Order: sequence, then C-alpha cells, then structure tokens
Amino acid sequence: MVDLNAYLTLASLLFGIGAIGFLVRRNALIQLMSIELMLNSVNIVLVAVNRLHVDNHVGQIFSFFVIAIAAAEAAVGLAILIALFRLHKSVDTDTADTLKH
Amino acid sequence: MSTAGFVLFLVCAVVSVLGAIGTVAARRPLRAAVSLLVTIIAIAGLYLGLSAQLLAAIQLLVYAGAVVVLFIFVIMLIGPSSEGSNDATAGGRHLMVRMLSLAGMGMFTATLAFTLVDVSAQYVATPEGFGSTQVVGEALYRQSLVPFEVVSITLLVAIVGALAVARTKTAKELSEARERRAQIEKAA
Amino acid sequence: MANLGILWIVLLPLFGAIINGMAGRFTSKRVVSVIAVGSVIGSFFLALNVFFDLTDLRAAGSEANLTFDLWRWFELSVPTVHGVTEVPVDVRFVVDELSSVMLLVITGIGSLIHIYSLGYMHDDDGFARYFAYLNLFMASMLILVLASSFPVMFVGWEGVGLCSYLLIGYWYETPAYAAAGRKAFIANRIGDFGVIVGMLALMMVSGSFEFEAINAAAPGMQRPFTLGGAEIGTFATVAGLFIFLGCTGKSAQVPLFVWLPDAMAGPTPVSALIHAATMVTAGVYLCCRISPVLLESSVVLSTIAIVGTLTALIAATIAVVQKEMKKILAYSTVSQLGFMFAAVGVGAFAAGFFHVFTHAFFKACLFLGAGSVMHAVGAHGDANILKLGGMKDRMKVTRWTFLIATAAIAGFPLTAGFFSKDELLFGAASVAMGDVLIPQWVGWFVLVGLFLAATMTAFYMYRLYYLTFTGDYRSAEKAEGGDDHAHDEDEDDAHDDDHDDAHDDAHGHDDHGHGDHGYRPRPKESEISMTFPLMVLAFGALVVGFLGMPHALHLPNWWGGWMSGSMGNLPGMGPHDHVENMTPVYVAMGLGLLAFFIGCGVATVKYRDKNEDTFTTALPKKLYAFLFDKWRFDEFYGATILRFNRGLAVLAGRIDQSFVDALLTKAPAWIAMRLGWLFTRIQVGVVHAYGLVLVVGMFGVGWWFLYPHANVEIDSVGAESANLTVGRGLGYEFRFDLDGDGNFDVPDQPSRVFIDLADDITNQEAMRVVALVRAAIAPTEWPSDRSGLGALIDREHKVYEMAPPTEALPDLRLALERAERVDEVRWENAGEAFGTQTNAELRFDAEDYQGFALVVGVLRGEPDEYELGHEPLLLDESRLGPGWSRAQEDEEEIPVAIWINEDGEVVVKPNSGAVRYRGEAMEEEFTIAAGEAAFFGRAPIRVAPIVETVVEVRNAFGNVDRETIAITLNPAPEATATNSQGARTATQAAARLAEVTR
Repeated sequence: MVDLNAYLTLASLLFGIGAIGFLVRRNALIQLMSIELMLNSVNIVLVAVNRLHVDNHVGQIFSFFVIAIAAAEAAVGLAILIALFRLHKSVDTDTADTLKH
Repeated sequence: MSTAGFVLFLVCAVVSVLGAIGTVAARRPLRAAVSLLVTIIAIAGLYLGLSAQLLAAIQLLVYAGAVVVLFIFVIMLIGPSSEGSNDATAGGRHLMVRMLSLAGMGMFTATLAFTLVDVSAQYVATPEGFGSTQVVGEALYRQSLVPFEVVSITLLVAIVGALAVARTKTAKELSEARERRAQIEKAA
Repeated sequence: MANLGILWIVLLPLFGAIINGMAGRFTSKRVVSVIAVGSVIGSFFLALNVFFDLTDLRAAGSEANLTFDLWRWFELSVPTVHGVTEVPVDVRFVVDELSSVMLLVITGIGSLIHIYSLGYMHDDDGFARYFAYLNLFMASMLILVLASSFPVMFVGWEGVGLCSYLLIGYWYETPAYAAAGRKAFIANRIGDFGVIVGMLALMMVSGSFEFEAINAAAPGMQRPFTLGGAEIGTFATVAGLFIFLGCTGKSAQVPLFVWLPDAMAGPTPVSALIHAATMVTAGVYLCCRISPVLLESSVVLSTIAIVGTLTALIAATIAVVQKEMKKILAYSTVSQLGFMFAAVGVGAFAAGFFHVFTHAFFKACLFLGAGSVMHAVGAHGDANILKLGGMKDRMKVTRWTFLIATAAIAGFPLTAGFFSKDELLFGAASVAMGDVLIPQWVGWFVLVGLFLAATMTAFYMYRLYYLTFTGDYRSAEKAEGGDDHAHDEDEDDAHDDDHDDAHDDAHGHDDHGHGDHGYRPRPKESEISMTFPLMVLAFGALVVGFLGMPHALHLPNWWGGWMSGSMGNLPGMGPHDHVENMTPVYVAMGLGLLAFFIGCGVATVKYRDKNEDTFTTALPKKLYAFLFDKWRFDEFYGATILRFNRGLAVLAGRIDQSFVDALLTKAPAWIAMRLGWLFTRIQVGVVHAYGLVLVVGMFGVGWWFLYPHANVEIDSVGAESANLTVGRGLGYEFRFDLDGDGNFDVPDQPSRVFIDLADDITNQEAMRVVALVRAAIAPTEWPSDRSGLGALIDREHKVYEMAPPTEALPDLRLALERAERVDEVRWENAGEAFGTQTNAELRFDAEDYQGFALVVGVLRGEPDEYELGHEPLLLDESRLGPGWSRAQEDEEEIPVAIWINEDGEVVVKPNSGAVRYRGEAMEEEFTIAAGEAAFFGRAPIRVAPIVETVVEVRNAFGNVDRETIAITLNPAPEATATNSQGARTATQAAARLAEVTR
C-alpha cells in the first residue's frame, strides 16, 4: 500500500526533474518553473512526513510558509526576468553574462 | 489505506510526474506553464490523500490562481521572444556543462531514492480534524504566529522589490541619467 | 585592620585619569582642572586620614597595619625550595610606616605639582591628556607603594614606567623628545627584568610573594642558590642583586642612569614629580621594603653602596659643567639618588629613606622653580643658564624659594638636606669605623665618595643659582637690536663649538634647538598657582629635616623611630641604639659642614654676580668635554650594545629584503595570481555552470546528512567506570556496548533485580530472558496476552521472552516462584534498541580488560602512556624523565623491563634498586596488579587497564555509525598515595588518562 516511502520516491523524482530542467534549459521562464517544481517536491515530503506524526501540523505549516516564499520568489524572479528581457531582448540565460570576467 | 486512496495516489503521482516532465521538456513556455498547472493540481490531490485539506486548497489558490497566472501574464507580455533560442540546436558551447549537470542531477536523485528505500513507516489512522482548516489554522496562529507575520512582511518586501526591478524608467529619470553620463565622459 | 580610605586613595586619581582621558577632550579646561586637581587633593586628605589612623594605632600599642583586601588575583602552583607550593597572589593594599610616609609624599607633593601644572600647562593644547597621564601616574605610584606583594607592586612599577614614558614624550611632535621617552622605557625594561627574576627568586625561597612573608623568611635566605648545578651564591645575594638591577633602572643608577637626564624632555612639573620626587625613588623604596633580605647579604649591600657612591660622584661631576637648568637638576637628582642608595648600601635604610623624603621637597621645589623661570622667559624644553641671570629682581618669590631649596640640597645647617645628608654620612662613617656586616673599606669608600659628591653638589647648585638669579639678564638686550642678536648668537656658537657640535650630532637629544633662542626680554613672576607650590615646598625644605635629627646626639629622631617598624637597620643605626663610639658622629657632621662650605664658598667667589662661566671652562679641555658629554656613557653604549643591535637589525633587514620580501611575499602573490586566473575562468557567466556547482555542493551536504556521526567524547574516567557522551544530531538514536562484549547495554535501567535470578549476567544489558520452567499451576494463570511476553510453549516448559527484561519482571518472578521446577534461566541478547540518551556510564571489572597500559607521570607535565604487550617494554632515562636515577652514578644504565606474562599479569623486572613498590625497594621481578602504582626513581608509574567500548549511532535514514573506543581506565588515587613524595604528581598524572582511538 501507499506508505511514506512512496511519497518520498515521488518527491525525489519530481525534485530530480525540476533540477534537471533548471540545469539544462536556457529559457529563464522554464527555469523558474523548474524551481517551482522543486519547491513543490519538498512540500510533498513535508506533508507526507507530517502524516506520520499526527499529533501536530508542523510539516503542513512549514509547507504553507514554503508556498508563501515560493510566491514571493516567483514575483521577484519574473520581475528580474522582465528587466533582463528589456536589456537583452531575450529570455535566454546564456545572454546574461554581463558580470562574467 | 483504502483502495480509493491508493488509486488517488497512483493517479496523482503519475499525472504530476508527467506534468513535471512536460514543464521541463516543453519548447513553448506557455505549454510549460500549463503543464505546471497540471502538476500543481495533481500535487493538491496528493495533499488530499495525505489529509491536508487546507493545504490542498492553498496550493490551488496560490499556485494555480496566482503563480501560474503570473507566469502566463509574463509570457503574454514578452510575446514570441519568450520561446528563446532553440535549446537543442543552440550550439555545443555549453554542451559539456549541460551533460555534466544532467549526470550530477541523476546521481543526486539516485542517491535520494536509494537512501529513502530504508524508510518504511506505515501510516496509521488520523485523528479527527487532522489537516482541517480549523486545526491547522489554530496551529498556524498559535504556534507560528511570529513566522507567519514575518512571512507577510517578506511578501510585502517582495512586491515592492518586484515593482522596483520591473518598472521602466520615467522620461525624466532617463534624461537625468543621460546627463550624468555625459558629465562623466566630459570629466574623463 | 581594613580601611576603605586606602582603596579610595588609589581610586580617586584613577577615576580622574579615566574621566580626563576619555572625556577631557570634550570638556573645558576648567572641568579638567577640577577633576584632576580635586582627585589628587582628595587623595591627599584621605592619605592624611590614613596616616593619622596609623599613628593612633601605634599610639595604642598595636603592631597591626592598615590593610584593604580587594580580590584574589591568581594562584600559582610553583616549585619552591620547599616542594611544590600553592602561591596565591592577592590584590591587597597595606599601609605601614614606610608606605604611609610615601603616601603623604606622593599625594602631598603630587597635589602641589598638579596645582603648579594648572599654570604651567595652561596654554598647552593637550591639557586634558597631560592631566590624564599625571593622574594615571599618581594612581600607579600609589599602587606601587600600597601593594602588599611583589606582583601587585610590579603593576604599579610598570604603570609608573608607562606614565613616565608617556610624559617624557608628551611633546611627541619633536622626535628627540619621543626618542627620550623610548630611551627611558627601554632602560627601565632592562631593570624590570631584574625585578622579575629577583621576585621569583624570593618567592622560591619564601613560598610567597607577600613582602611580609618574604621579610619573615629572610633568615632562610642563606640557602645556596644553584644554577645548572653550580652554586652561584646565596638566595639573598642573587635575589638582592637582581632586584637592585631593577632599582638601577627605575632609580637611574650607574649603569642605567642615562635615561634620566634625557627625561627632562617632558614638561617641567613632570620632571619635578616623576623624575625627582617620586618615581625615581621607587628603587630606594623597594630596597627599604625588603631590607631584611638585603641585610642577609654583605655582597648585595656592598654592591649597592659602591654603585650608589659611584653614581653620586659621576653625576655630580657631570652636573658641574652643564649649562642648562633642568639638565643640572637632572644630574643632581641622579647624584642624590646615589646618596640614597649609598645609605641603603651601608645598612642605614631609615637614613636613605629620610633622604628620599627631604629630597622630594627641595628637588621638587628646585624643578618647579626652574620651571617658573623657564615659563617666565618662554623657554620650551630647557633653559641655558648662560643666557639667563638677574632673575632675583624680576622673580622674587621664585628666587627666594629657589635659594632656600638650593641651601637645603647643599646642606646648609639646619635645613632638611643638612640633617638627611648627615644621617647618610653617619651611616657610612659607622660602617667605616665599626665592625658590622659590610667590609670597612666599603664604608671608607662611601664616606669619601659622598663627601666629594656633597662638595660638588653645593658647588654646582650655587653655580646654578648665581648664574640664574644674579648678574644681568643676558637675553634682555637681544630683543632690541637685530645686529646684536646675530652677533651674540655667533659668539655663543663659537663658544660651544668645542664640545657641542662634535657630539650632539651623534646623539641629538640635547634640545639646544629649543633652549637657545627666543627668550622673552622682560620676564615676569609667574602666577599664584605656580608660586604657591613653590612656597609650600620651600617651607618644607626648611623644616622637614627636624623630623630626623641625629639620635646619636640624643636629639629626638621621630623619623627613625617611626621607620623602625617596617625596615631593618644595622646595629648602631637604629633610633634607640646607644652609640658607643662618637667619632663617626662628629666625622659625619664635620664632613657635611665642610662639604657645604667648600662648595658654596667656591661657587660664591666665582659666580656671584658674574655673567659668564669662567671657572668650569678653565678645566682642561679634554676633561671638560669628557664631563660635559656625561662621561660618554651614551657613546659607550652606542659603540657596544647599540652597535651590536644595529648590526643585528641590518642583518635582519637584509634577510627581510632578500628572503622574506623577495621569496616569501612574491611566491604567495604569484600563487594567488594564478589561482585568481583559474577562478576567473570559472566565472563563465553561464547560469548552468553555477547551477552545477550548486548541485555538487548540495550533493555533499546531502551525503553528510545521510550518515550519522558519532563524535564520542569521554567525559570522565574513573578507576572502574567511564562516562561517555555522543554528539547529538537530527533524528539520532544511540546505543552503547560499554564493555565491548558484543551485547548492547541499556544504560538507564536499574539492574540489581537480575542478580538474584542469575548471577552470570552482566547487568544493564537488554536481554531476552529465556526461562524453561516446569509449571506447577494451570497455564491460564500465565499472563500470555501481555505484549512483550512470549507465548506459552507447553505445559511443561515455558519460555518467557522479554525485551527489555524489567518490563515483565514481576510476572517472570511470579512464574518462577510458582514453578515446580526451574530447569534453566537463560539470558539472550536482545539489545537491538536504540535510545535517545546521549551519555552512558558503566562500571568495568577485570573481565572487561582488553589490555594494560603503563602510565608514567613525569614530575611535571603530561604523563606518558605506553601500551603493554608480551614483549618487554624497556624504560630508561629518556622515557622516565629527569626524576630517574641510577643507584650509582657510574653504573651502567639498565632499563626497567615491563611485560605481560602468559597469565595476563603485568611483570616488572627492576634494575639495580631504583624501583620501589609498596614502599619497598624491589630487587627481583614482581607482578603488579592493575591500578597499582610503583616508583621508578622519582617517576611515579601506574598500570592502567584498557577497556573497549562500542557506540552505535543511527539517524533517521537508518544509517548506522559505529565507533569503537579504547579507554585507559584511571586507577584510583589512593592506590598511588603509598609514596608521599610522588603522590601529588601521581594524582595530577591521573587527571589525563583517556585515549581515544578509532
């Protein structure tokens, strides 16, 4: 049956997919979405483990905060993306190398 | 856990993984955003299976209602250039880096998966009210009031920051900046 | 007798210094003045109060001193001649006769000089800084005299040295002045080294730092002092000489006196207070403090007497030819300090200290008078007396007070200097003509030397007086015509050429640059804040001598009577001693008067109303130059010590340039540059590359968290037990197998209950109990439905399984009690359980021992540990340390052999007679049990058992970290107390016995 292990495996899968997306894609929009994926996978772990300890809700509350921070992150990230787009007329992160040596 | 619960988990897990792959693999950002929406809804289903009803609702509200919409707004704003260059064909300049990333990530995921195999805790029945709005809300406002307020301030700061970063310069500011640059060049 | 006033005497100036030092810059001069002067005057009144408390106490017949205890500063465990001793150092203030007088001098004269400084320093920019330093000096000096023990005194001793340095270099913008400050500091440091060594030597022999205890232990100081096996004198001699070295630095005696004349670079009130009245007399004070110790060694006393006399003579000859006011006074001070030490050296401590007392008055008065003149003429640094003159009409108060002080220092009858000098000469004459500790020839030398020095003192002081105050003011006309001015300058330069230019270039600290030009044409008398202290001090210079009239003539000698309470004297010099032989009395008095009249007479004839110095310049040119250049001491030091040091510096510089700068700096710079190049390559600007690095880091962190880390620490090790703590971590669980037998323990369970069931179980272990019991009653009564209890197998035999066993123990006991027959009670390991407890304790017994270690406690320091095996371990001198001794010096050294025999016993094969065990010298092989001690020579050795312990830590991922620790048990201290000599070190050695191996 479904146990913690299943949730953890699913979460690590999602995390892996998100991380690979972040690393491999060059489209800043998709990279941001990959970050959202990773954050969601962490939330799954938190909620799943919380299910083991039914006398409190620490995991759920923590994932609540993660959602809040993820929203903030998405807002700022997209703002940066727009600024970047204005500068380079592109959302390709490879073009964002102004600060390199 | 009942069979219904198992089916729910299975469906949501498969959908979320497929959605995630779609997000990452889609060439067009709009498709990626829609795939993300699917993933998020599937994860909300998982939350339901884990007796986290309030969290499932918040997941839908915040992610589906706000974040994904924000993504779509930006995609619309940028227009066709949001597709960027073709990842697959855009030269082998950083191909090495990408291959290494892929390998590293695979290793990481594998490690996680292998180590987690040992964890085998069976779920027991939940007490009444577990994950309900009332109980979670009480916990949120009693145990975690200060972090809660801090998070709200963080959100405010993020909004202001996003505005500051994304807004365009006014004509006046632009002319001022131009003047300043001229002065500097003159001095040099 | 505790007395809070004593504390505040020190605290008031200290607070003054802190307030002025911190906030003085931001407040007005008025506030600074009130704080600085007020605190010192307050301190003076407190000192008066304390002084009268002490006189009341003495009047009441009490011998006790006034004390104030502050806190225990530190404790030392040090080897003394009586063995290792705990020597505490308390911050404790004591007022006895000696320090009470010193208190009055310091605070009284200090107050006057603070008041004087208000006028003198009024226009200086660093007003607040100056007073902060001056107050700090007061506090340090008071700590110096109030301290009850050497270390606390040393705090004050260093404090006054620091303040002296700060105040000499007060006008640090002038490099020469800053250099003078450094010179003073370095000369003092050389002396301070002596004080430290002397203090430690005294502590070694007396077992205490307290002056009282040291003085009480003085008779024991005849014990020989050995250094590297060679006897180099008695403790009293060695300690005395080293402390005297410190005194030569602080009190400017030959050969370290060279700093004091240069110290005149500081403001004049500083010269008066620090470099004439108080700090420089600290050496004399210290000698008086430990007078009983000095009286134990004729060598030390003779040395002090001879050095003092030489200093007095040399400095006097230099002072005769100097041309600047403060310089003359500085050499005069050196000379007078020589007088004081000469007195100390002939055993007349009270007389020497009386001279400290009187000298404080007239020398402070002289310096302040000189300062007043310099202030009036606008001289900065120093004033050339050949360009002064005729001040007597312009500065009446200064003139009269200066004259009185001059008369006093020269020994005019019935002035302070007359009486104190008479006492000094009497001391020298008594030694010369008597039969006391010190050789007679030393007495003669001192007597003749001091007579000559006193003659010269009278001469140069009156020369100074006449050239400054009589005749015409020789700078008056300069201001009127430019041509004249230039002409005079030229003449002056030509005049000085012989000696000045030739040598001053070599050591540019003579400050002519400041003293030589720009005197105001019409000097006026200084303001009241400056003349008032002058008048008080002059009055003191007139009258304080009556406190110490010669007791040999049966005159009342209050001073000697008072001082006899805190310092020793040679026979005949005590205040109540009857003097049989009156010759020394008359010789001393006659010589004193003769010296005054010769010196004063010659000076009067040659200098009164004269406008130039024709007398001393008539000396042979070479002699004059030699004297003018202060016997070329600076040149001598420059050619020897400084040159050597400079050579070293040049060498170091070369090494620095060619090796450090070239190789050591360039090589790392090159490496850094290359690395920088490498790292800039990494900054490719590709987000993915950064992401990859992030992932690698994440991977590492994840890896770290995947596995637990035991981090076992051994808290304490006893004879049969050990305490462990395991490092905590997220989700960690722990289990222990303390005796290393493979069964994990449950440390927090009471275990005695098992003993009556089966004796062969090691307690504390989580076991499964397997009981085969023939039941006597119906099986329904077996509590088979309880969780943790096993099933009933059959009616005949029952198996109980319990983990942990205590849980179901009552039931098991019930079953056993009701059993018809108990076939077997067996205990099987069930110690799978991990717990959250992070520490554990277990008692070990002989069965747990995995091996043995030999612990060798060398006399000091960490004990050595050797693992024992079946092969003999050979111990020789190199392993046993210096405590090891052979039976005979010339015998060939045979090492002691130790090994474990087949029976697991530790066998010791001693060598010829140096091994003791249970208080007996062992000749033959013997076995020694674990925990027992023996002595190899003087080195205590011990056999300590080694046990092994296993700790496992499991984290939330289920990974387990297993750590095996070998613990060397710490045998009980009582086992080693068989030999008193080594017992202490053995106990200390036992403090560290835990060895962790992984």
